[in-house]
Amino acid sequence: MTPKVCLVLLNLGNFNRAWTQILRNLGIDYTLCVTTGGATSASIQTPQGVFSPSSPDLRSYFRQFDAVILCDNSNSLSATSMVNYSVFWLSWNDPEDPAFLFFNPHFSAAITESGYNSNFPSDFSIVRPNPSDIAGTLYAADGGSASSSNPLSATGTGGRGACILFLAENIRAHVQTICNTHTNTIPYYWKLDTAKHSTLADTAYTHRVARNERAGEILAVPAPPTSSEDTETYPSDCVAAYRYRNIFWLPHAMARTQRAVNLWDAEVSPFVFWLLYGLQAAGVRPRYRLPVQIETSRPLEALDASSNPPYSLREQCDFLLASWDWMRDFARRKGTAIVNGVRVGGRDRAAGSRQHWGILYNTSHPAEAREAAMRVHQILVAGHREGTTPCGPHDYTIGSGNGLWGSAVNTGYIRHAGRQRGTPNNVPIARGNFCVAPHVLPTGVADRDAQTVQVGDTELIEWEISTSGAGDTFDLPMGNIHAARMIIEGHIDEMLALGFPDGYCAGHRYTNTASNNSGGECYWQALKEFGFRGVRSSSNCTGISIKRVPPNRIWQGFHLVGDEAVDNCSSGAVFSRGLYLPSAPSGGDAVRHYLLDHGSDISANWATGQVAAWRAYRRLLCQTTSIWLHGTAVELSSAYFHPNQSLMCVSLADATLPFEGWSRLGPYGTPHYNHAVELLENMDAIVRLLPDVLYWGTITDVMDHRERVMG
Amino acid sequence: MSLIGWLKGNRLVDVTAQDPLPVQQQGAITSRTADTLFANTTSVTADANRDLLGSTATELPTLDGCMQYRKLVWFYFRAGADATTYRVLARATDHNGAPLGAGWQEIAPATPLPGEANTWGRIEIPSAGDGYYDQYRIEVRRTGGSGYTLTSKIVGVR
Repeated sequence: MTPKVCLVLLNLGNFNRAWTQILRNLGIDYTLCVTTGGATSASIQTPQGVFSPSSPDLRSYFRQFDAVILCDNSNSLSATSMVNYSVFWLSWNDPEDPAFLFFNPHFSAAITESGYNSNFPSDFSIVRPNPSDIAGTLYAADGGSASSSNPLSATGTGGRGACILFLAENIRAHVQTICNTHTNTIPYYWKLDTAKHSTLADTAYTHRVARNERAGEILAVPAPPTSSEDTETYPSDCVAAYRYRNIFWLPHAMARTQRAVNLWDAEVSPFVFWLLYGLQAAGVRPRYRLPVQIETSRPLEALDASSNPPYSLREQCDFLLASWDWMRDFARRKGTAIVNGVRVGGRDRAAGSRQHWGILYNTSHPAEAREAAMRVHQILVAGHREGTTPCGPHDYTIGSGNGLWGSAVNTGYIRHAGRQRGTPNNVPIARGNFCVAPHVLPTGVADRDAQTVQVGDTELIEWEISTSGAGDTFDLPMGNIHAARMIIEGHIDEMLALGFPDGYCAGHRYTNTASNNSGGECYWQALKEFGFRGVRSSSNCTGISIKRVPPNRIWQGFHLVGDEAVDNCSSGAVFSRGLYLPSAPSGGDAVRHYLLDHGSDISANWATGQVAAWRAYRRLLCQTTSIWLHGTAVELSSAYFHPNQSLMCVSLADATLPFEGWSRLGPYGTPHYNHAVELLENMDAIVRLLPDVLYWGTITDVMDHRERVMG
Repeated sequence: MSLIGWLKGNRLVDVTAQDPLPVQQQGAITSRTADTLFANTTSVTADANRDLLGSTATELPTLDGCMQYRKLVWFYFRAGADATTYRVLARATDHNGAPLGAGWQEIAPATPLPGEANTWGRIEIPSAGDGYYDQYRIEVRRTGGSGYTLTSKIVGVR
């Protein structure tokens, strides 16, 4: 059977295309139905005709679907009409009826329409929110502070925190959760009518989605704190997700806004978890599951004293060693592969002594630091061979520090000097001055040294080509296939010299590029020739802003996988000072980087309220997991972080232990926090929650899936 | 007698309307002459040199790899009537993808964007003749009023 759902929406002008993009990626067929308004009198326009929302015809029409999804929501509890027409469907509870997924439903007591109120089920067990009595009908979530703007429309910053306990699965997970909000921009959870719920929970009910065969089921609640420091608790009648017969009452899933899913720049939809959860709960079995994987950039390096890190070289190597040991084990256990972009260029060109090549071989470093660095490196090499930590090249020493085609000319480019490839040959380094397609090239015109060059579909005979000379240093024009081949050959050569068996993440034939610059057609062609299947790339694929990737991010079968950074600080701040540090520079802690300080409820309480750290922890995990999940489900792209940069806030003594608030401190006297451990464990909780939708996979699975659903 | 014959049932027959040369069915043959290249929502601002992707980096194309298309058709829906101009730039690249030089050829100078609030529009690029440029940059600039949303789709026609 082909899974199929029906999306009901008010209009296409406020429709987030991420709804349908996710369904396409999952292989779920869908039908869009547009309503003529939000009142109970609205008509439902289906491809088979226009129906009254209460009509038997519409009910029969809906029965062809696995689930019916309501897409519209409001950020005002005072609204009197939004999805009022759907009230009739709350009573369509026969086994033949589909599951109904109501995300962030508007069922406020402010709705005055009698057709709505008289048809609202009397035994419905969630208290209807009342804008005149918010405190008596809802529970303020996430500390109760207001967001700076409508929290339902948040994208890649400004996330709200929530740790949710999923009762049937007994799994805790950090996922952004807003059941309802109001014009005060405060997120809320729902209040349960315990008496009605008790009755429903004792009422036998048969429907395929009623796992416990009861008419009412609490699906998810705010998780109780795990520490006495965390005073953000909720009453026992506070719920985040509920099943009323075959009706799922779920938190916000998608902003009601015009948001195109453009493969270049899809804005982050941070609440997609709840759509995935709803689909699974409703028994919609996707044709395909989505592979979950993560990457790192620059897995082994350290900061020098000029950056003023809190730890010495040896100490930085130590926390990297502990963290990589943990990550390799995680990848083994979960069957995933953590792809790493190893900084290359250190052998042949000037590079920092604390970067990958230098940290291993620079003899000015203390022996114990080099020994720790070598152990990290050996984990990466062994993990590469076994498939857990495949590595590929990632070069900042070219293109003025911007990587592939990072500048028009790489002044003073240094290529290999001897070694296994011998003395450098005099080779082409630029496009020939004359380039003519072979089928129109008159006989005898081309020089004797002419070369045939093919980039994509275009084949040309080139002659009068600038060459490098026999020296090992020269100015290299970057925008041509000859330069691309020379650069990538050097990358692979250095990866081999580092002890990796290949230079492209083993069988994945992939790497993540420095600055996410993939370099344009000539580099993609050269990468293909060296065996690559794809690379990570920003939409603006050169450092000099002259090129874009193709709209579908596939060029001649070569993948240009999108990038979603999930570090816990900005790159400009160099490294993370932890969840929050008052003296940190702009972007130097997670709260500032992701704008997580709502109403100063972290910054103003940091020194006096221990709960502020737990609040920051929740919000960071929710924010970064949201971005990762968006990349996984909407874009089919890659999330990544920088280990040295993001892990600088761990406790050296307990580098991979969980966050424990103020009970376990890292540098600066602030709470220890290991971003790798926390982020991967949280995503694992989500993968375990959603086995029908997600699985731990690899970048190969991502590229396979892109070909499957983007063809 | 035809100059071309073929073996039909062990007998050489002439090619005629009744006995055409046999061809092997290669499965369903589809031809596609247009591709969706772009679907996006842009906030129209007063920023100079801002393209449909929101970039003000003047060398950055909005669309790349377009040589196969003789024409781009830009459909849009504008949510506001505020005075707005659009400008279209184009250029060619060599086979490596490198622009032949810096800057652009302006193929449509700053022109008022047709339409009122909540209306549709359609613009052909180039307006006359064929394109076959490799890169296009499409800039939109509000010259009065306040910001609004512009939703666009661009189709490449081979």
